[in-house]
Amino acid sequence: MSTTVLERYDMRIDTEDDIILVRRKVRDIAQSCRFDVFAASAVTTAASELARNVWTHAGRGVARIEKVTDDMRMGVRADFEDQGPGIADVTRALAGGYSTANSMGLGLSGSRRLVDEFSIESTPGRGTRVTFVKWAPF
Amino acid sequence: MKGTIPLLRLGSTIVATIHTELRDKVAQDFQDDMLTELELRGANALVIDISGLETVDTYVARVLAETGRMAKLMGARTVLVGMRPEIAATLVRMGYAMDGIQTALNLEEGLTLLRRRRREMP
Amino acid sequence: MDHRRYMKVLKLDDAEIASRRAFFELTDADLSRLAALRPFAEKYTDAIVDRFYDLLLSHVETKRFFPDEATVRRVKKLQRDYFLGLFAGKCDAAYVEDRLRVGTAHERIGLSPRWYLGAYRKYMQLIAEHLLDNLKDDAMVRQAFESVQKIVYFDASIAIDTYIAAKMDALERHQAAIRELSTPVIRVHDRILLLPLIGAIDSHRADQIMDSVLLKVSEAQARCIIIDIAGVPIVDTKVADNLVKTTAAVRLLGAEVILTGITAQVARTIIQLGVDISTMHTLSRLSEGIELALTFVDKAIRRQPRRRSGQRAGASSPKTGGKPA
Repeated sequence: MSTTVLERYDMRIDTEDDIILVRRKVRDIAQSCRFDVFAASAVTTAASELARNVWTHAGRGVARIEKVTDDMRMGVRADFEDQGPGIADVTRALAGGYSTANSMGLGLSGSRRLVDEFSIESTPGRGTRVTFVKWAPF
Repeated sequence: MKGTIPLLRLGSTIVATIHTELRDKVAQDFQDDMLTELELRGANALVIDISGLETVDTYVARVLAETGRMAKLMGARTVLVGMRPEIAATLVRMGYAMDGIQTALNLEEGLTLLRRRRREMP
Repeated sequence: MDHRRYMKVLKLDDAEIASRRAFFELTDADLSRLAALRPFAEKYTDAIVDRFYDLLLSHVETKRFFPDEATVRRVKKLQRDYFLGLFAGKCDAAYVEDRLRVGTAHERIGLSPRWYLGAYRKYMQLIAEHLLDNLKDDAMVRQAFESVQKIVYFDASIAIDTYIAAKMDALERHQAAIRELSTPVIRVHDRILLLPLIGAIDSHRADQIMDSVLLKVSEAQARCIIIDIAGVPIVDTKVADNLVKTTAAVRLLGAEVILTGITAQVARTIIQLGVDISTMHTLSRLSEGIELALTFVDKAIRRQPRRRSGQRAGASSPKTGGKPA
């Protein structure tokens, strides 16, 4: 099944306020895809977590938020990219292995549970890229 | 009062209604204001109304939990009220356990809870 | 859905209309040409509409929409207006809204897109014939026909959008109804809800149950919800995990969950699966669940000697010596 992009928004994450803008954009798209309030909350929260990770750990980065369709259903795709410190042990991070609540781990593993498709690439010293897709529930 | 989150005093309880997005500055001002109120008024309870919050991510959850811990250090109990159902669902699905902070359905329930707790205290 | 709502749902704002026109290559020049063809259109409207209805009435499946003469006369008049609308020389929000109204009316009576498309084809055939008969210049005929084709396809796209939007809407309403039926939350007391779960629960339904429970508890500001699983044939890890999650979420709201209907077999399964439900309130009988729930709302069912009529059960009364809470 191929995914078609219906709308695309490229956003910078330079300030804390940008996190809120990213969150609002994701929420708007979710609502236009007719996500129910629970699905909308899940995808908005996931985006908020990842945007905040970018700001907290890299200071700046970009988010690409898209409204997508695979011809059967509509969804939100979000891609977060930064040139920050990167994550040394992605597997551990995804398992929620970092103990303190304000480090990357909890937000990362938590976000993953809120969406349908999730991928992460990270190289220490080079940066991180996280992408997710959440489809409108039936 | 420094911050944008209004604090209301009801007897020995402070009621804070969070209606804006939480950012570092807003959160910090809120905590400062709250601690000042607790100190000045000798209040021993804090009710935080989050019915206006559309999204609670781990940052917001942490700020709320921190606020509760700060209040506790000053001898005050904290109750969180008005959590939206979708927020409760999202937090649980994320696997985030909001430990250490009491919750109640609404302001009335929160105050009842605090009254009961006060009676139970030695 | 009425056509105004369709307009919103389909997001047929100026930007979308401009975008669609661009894709259909429906330019202002086309619209001017169509406006210039209006006299031609007026001349042949009746003939075209009559032959159009000859097709509709000769085909069994479309004939049934026009049961009698009066109906045929009425729709022919509407059809004439519609036809002439193609030559209005406009394609703005007002035009689109008008076309939507027509599409909505057709969808409501159950006319599916295939009839539309066949009908539009007939339209274009009839228009082409008259154009060929009446315009001498081949280039002009071609241009005119192209413009007509563009606007007819544009109209067809709106009609199809309407149809799809209506089906999606119906689907959503059905799904909402199914969700309601499969999660029937009952208020058994002022602050106590009851959810008797019946039937198999897969992970999708489990999610829906959690959402429903949270919505209902919040809506009713209930102190507690009793979830009875006696009617659930198989309680596996997924179901058990979900019940644990639901309890945690309800607690976050400030309310409580009581799980009842746990049979010996289910108890054994849950322990063997290793799912930790130790922090949950679990009971085997629904009646016990209700009693427990009542203590949560500070209204225990107390045994009273024979009540005088008018006295509420559970109310303590000095006259009968009932104990206060």
